[in-house]
Amino acid sequence: MIKARALKKNFGEFCAVNDLTLEIRQGECFGLLGPNGAGKSTFIGMTYGSVERTAGELSVFGLDPATHARVIKKRMGVVTQENALDESLTVFENMLIYCAFIGVPSQERHKRVTDLLEYMNLAHKKDDRILALSGGMKRRLVFVRALLGNPELLILDEPTTGLDPAVRHLLWGKVKELRQEGTTILLTTHYMHEAEVLCDRLVIMNKGKVAAEGSPAKLITEHTPGHVGIYNFDSREELKSLAEKKDFIFLEDSSGIYLRASRMEDLLSTGIPALQLRPANLEDVFLKLTGTELATDA
Amino acid sequence: MRETLALSTHIVRRNWTVYKKDLIANISPTVADPALIMVSLGFGLGGYLTNVEGMSYMHYLAPGLTIATSLFTSFFESSYGFFVRMTYENVFKAMLTTPIGAREVVLGEMLWVGLKGAVMSIGVTIVLAIFGMMINPWLIPLLGIVGFLVALPCGAMGLLSTALVRNINQFQTVYSFLIAPLYFLSGIFFPISEMSAPVKFIADCFPLIHGVRLAQSVFWNRDIASTFLVHGGILVVQSLVFCGFAYRQIRKKLVQ
Repeated sequence: MIKARALKKNFGEFCAVNDLTLEIRQGECFGLLGPNGAGKSTFIGMTYGSVERTAGELSVFGLDPATHARVIKKRMGVVTQENALDESLTVFENMLIYCAFIGVPSQERHKRVTDLLEYMNLAHKKDDRILALSGGMKRRLVFVRALLGNPELLILDEPTTGLDPAVRHLLWGKVKELRQEGTTILLTTHYMHEAEVLCDRLVIMNKGKVAAEGSPAKLITEHTPGHVGIYNFDSREELKSLAEKKDFIFLEDSSGIYLRASRMEDLLSTGIPALQLRPANLEDVFLKLTGTELATDA
Repeated sequence: MRETLALSTHIVRRNWTVYKKDLIANISPTVADPALIMVSLGFGLGGYLTNVEGMSYMHYLAPGLTIATSLFTSFFESSYGFFVRMTYENVFKAMLTTPIGAREVVLGEMLWVGLKGAVMSIGVTIVLAIFGMMINPWLIPLLGIVGFLVALPCGAMGLLSTALVRNINQFQTVYSFLIAPLYFLSGIFFPISEMSAPVKFIADCFPLIHGVRLAQSVFWNRDIASTFLVHGGILVVQSLVFCGFAYRQIRKKLVQ
């Protein structure tokens, strides 16, 4: 559905996307993870032609966005990173004008908008101004906007950033439903848990390149197998020497000390009380691959 | 091309939906300003100037005020208005994820300012005609065409400045050094023949003076066909040139 090969984008001297190669298959939920400035949004902009590539190949639905952006955009919906809702219009007017933009026949617009507002629990807000909506409501409305054209491909650019857990779970539910109905989904997120919950496959991007690719489980097994204990800084020296002695992975960041071992029992046997003990997850993979891991492999 | 045009009309519709929400507030300065000038200059100064090109000063002033309306309507819409939509309201960020591209945005904006220029020019002309400023009031619809033809290049100048300014305050500079001089030196307030050659040459490169000539020909019912042919033609060429520049620059803002 989306194929990129040796894709490159420079903004002056700065290289935002550097030699990016990936493929997103029909019907899957594909995640694009990476720290700020990794090139995720630049790549997304390239898929619908609002960012022009410097070099490489890109195709969406088998078409080149540089020459066929309009055809491509008719078949996709985008939850933009910023809401970018038209604040001069009401909720309903906003959605009606977008129906016109994407070519929904005029006799169907009213019903399409009404149905989707109900789907996103926003029907009671239809005559409100955008400014009167809460952050979560605005985000849901952006989902409505992205779904107006029944897209084959739905792009979610950090869809749940800044939302409370209730709204986040509601949106996850909707994304799963759409995925089950056959919509292909491309998701960028900072929340590793979100990626684990939603994505069939994902890539972790760093400095404009793919650092790793696979299913969440495969990435964890490959890059950070085992279990992780999180400790406060009081036992730092003790943990460090233990890690060297027992072949554990030692990592620290501003939130605490992370110790990774192959079995939970190894961590329990240290006798040092942990704040939390858990199986390794995508966050550990992310920290390792994006260069935040300060570990010394003992 | 047909789809581009259809998409552009949706942008016009969007702008109209927003505009009509504050219709009175939006229209009042457009009508009030020419009325104020008519009263202050026409009645006031007109008392001293009894013969300007063979007519009263009020009759002389009337056509130019129609064109000034088109200038201000289009310039402010495509400068401040567009800048706010692009920068503060982020309207285009989401719009560009739909089949609309930079070309449709610019064309839609141009259509919108053109139509606004046409409607406002007709509105002001009707008021002036009621006061007997037009020899043949049946020609009022022609002022719609003139308003449209003036609004296009003036709107494109606004759009071009939107692409070039670094912040909204810089429009003030554009206004002071481009729009205001055009307003005062395009034959609205005194005959073009009185202008010095260099000033006239510079004024000729911009749309306002040609619009004034067109409006004068319609208001005074003089050489309408030939004036439309020459000055209407110049306005069409200027529209294409200015719109071309504006599109190239705005595209850089919308597509990275």
